[in-house]
Amino acid sequence: MALPKGRIDVRMKTSLLALFLVAATHSVCWSAVGCDLNDPDRDVVRLFPASTGYKTSYVSIAKKGGEGLLLKVEKRLGDKFRGIYETIDVPYTIYEIYTGNKKIGYIHGVNQKGQFGGIQVFLALDLHGRIQSFYIQKMTSRHAGKLRDAKFGNQFAGLTLKDFDLYDVVTGNATGKVAAIRNPVPEADIDFRAALRATKKNLVLMDEFVFSENQPVSKEGEMLK
Amino acid sequence: MISRVQVAYKNLLRKRTRSFLTLIGIALSAWVLVSLLGFNKGYESALNRDIDNMGFQMMIMAKGCPYEAATLMLKGGTGLRYMDESIIDRIINEPEVDRITPMLMQAVFDPNKGESGGLSAYLGIEPRSFSGMKPFLTFMQGGWFDREDSYEAVMGYEAAELEQREIGDKILIPDKNVELTVVGILRRTGTQDDGTIFVPLRTLQKIFDRSGELTTIGIKVKRDANSTILEEKLYQLPDVQIVSLAEVKHTIMKLVSTAKVMVLSIATIAIMIAMVGVINTVLMSVLERLKEFGIIKTIGAMPWDIFTLVWIETLILCSAGGVFGIILALLLSKVADIVIRAILPFAPSGSLIVIDLRLALVTLSIIMSVGLLSGIYPAWRAGRVRPLDAIRSDS
Repeated sequence: MALPKGRIDVRMKTSLLALFLVAATHSVCWSAVGCDLNDPDRDVVRLFPASTGYKTSYVSIAKKGGEGLLLKVEKRLGDKFRGIYETIDVPYTIYEIYTGNKKIGYIHGVNQKGQFGGIQVFLALDLHGRIQSFYIQKMTSRHAGKLRDAKFGNQFAGLTLKDFDLYDVVTGNATGKVAAIRNPVPEADIDFRAALRATKKNLVLMDEFVFSENQPVSKEGEMLK
Repeated sequence: MISRVQVAYKNLLRKRTRSFLTLIGIALSAWVLVSLLGFNKGYESALNRDIDNMGFQMMIMAKGCPYEAATLMLKGGTGLRYMDESIIDRIINEPEVDRITPMLMQAVFDPNKGESGGLSAYLGIEPRSFSGMKPFLTFMQGGWFDREDSYEAVMGYEAAELEQREIGDKILIPDKNVELTVVGILRRTGTQDDGTIFVPLRTLQKIFDRSGELTTIGIKVKRDANSTILEEKLYQLPDVQIVSLAEVKHTIMKLVSTAKVMVLSIATIAIMIAMVGVINTVLMSVLERLKEFGIIKTIGAMPWDIFTLVWIETLILCSAGGVFGIILALLLSKVADIVIRAILPFAPSGSLIVIDLRLALVTLSIIMSVGLLSGIYPAWRAGRVRPLDAIRSDS
């Protein structure tokens, strides 16, 4: 059936649009979702102003140490990995930060379940695992603005995994420097505690993946030394 | 007593290198041919599967309206246009229409998604009609909404994973300050549904103050109906655009047909080269053995016996080369799949090259037929050798 020229143009356009539609449906990526910086070129410089470049590597608990490492991470975190998304095969992205050829630190993010959605907590760490910057990339909350504010994030600067060792992620009981971190929105206590759990998880994972990389792990998750 | 097949096989082994190279040539031809036929079959079925997974063959939306989340995001969440729900009555009565499902897409800007904020998109649906069109959607947790006006949500797997949601959890529609309870998490489908947050249509209309308005209507056409006729009728409706997935398929197949013609040409050339190779190999073998054929004839062999002997050699070469080529195609189909995906402008999900037993047998038959045709001349030359001339000759 012959169609008028205008109709053919409309058909062609709709066909091409629909072609895009079909093409857009095929992001065949079946692994668990990781936590990447949305715009690494911009975000790395913002979190590490002295940086001139970065390298990206991917690691998961499954590949790094399997069940033994998972048990160890859970033990150090003080909580089980929960739900259907906090799993052994989650890929973690580690950004190694450089000034020229010299490595100056790392950026690493984790996903955390919040009250109304996923929270993505990134830490910029120096070579000794000390927090340089704290950044919540994504959070769904009525009070997200205050928890994502630099004033809240600045309270984490200078803290290490050692400071979080006694922080109980289940009860929220804290001592020392972690206890000094103030929740700017008491109504958003669930998200505040989720941010602290994410920070501790982030530090534990970085310690396992990077800072104590060469220490062997037993099946039960204990260090073999 | 030694059989003709054994004699032919031993003859081929006399010039191992030449026979092997000929066999490789035939194998390569078979490889190209079976891969091409497998691609013909695989691409179309993969495309059909993808289009079936869309659930409907046609979509209607207000003119200029982005019709799915990816386009909406590209446009920064702007440009949504709406149709009145009453249009449904005009569509549903068309005899070609099997079922329809109305949809409303909405997006809100969330300033706390990334450094510069981002969009959250929601799709309002009627669960009964929507799930009826997409029976492949299954739940990892929970199920569809209880009521058409409930404040509930069903999340595609990737959306739920990103938001770390499970059933019973709440999601918040930023800007609107509305909470929804997650009642279902879908299993992965590999389609755009994985990243979608589904909300009851009435609820979404209420939240966004769009009562009686829709952005899209999905249409499933009756199996034997002519979708072109329906399309013509729908174009008569004012201010709507129609996306026909049959047309999409046609457009894609047209794009791919160019590539197919090229590969078919290569396959034809490869088969011709292999054919010349077979003629060359067998003919050289015949010319080298003229004296031998003469002696065989003097002890009673008939021209047909010599003809079949030479022809069996061709048959062995072609069948072995064909089988080898098919095995090669099966082993390297994944590699070929990757290469084709890199070349083609669009490739559907799933395997693009499907080689089954029937296809393998068809390829083998083609290769053997072509090979036997190539063997006729050398075999005829061998059969008509005159014994005395052959014995007297120096060859």
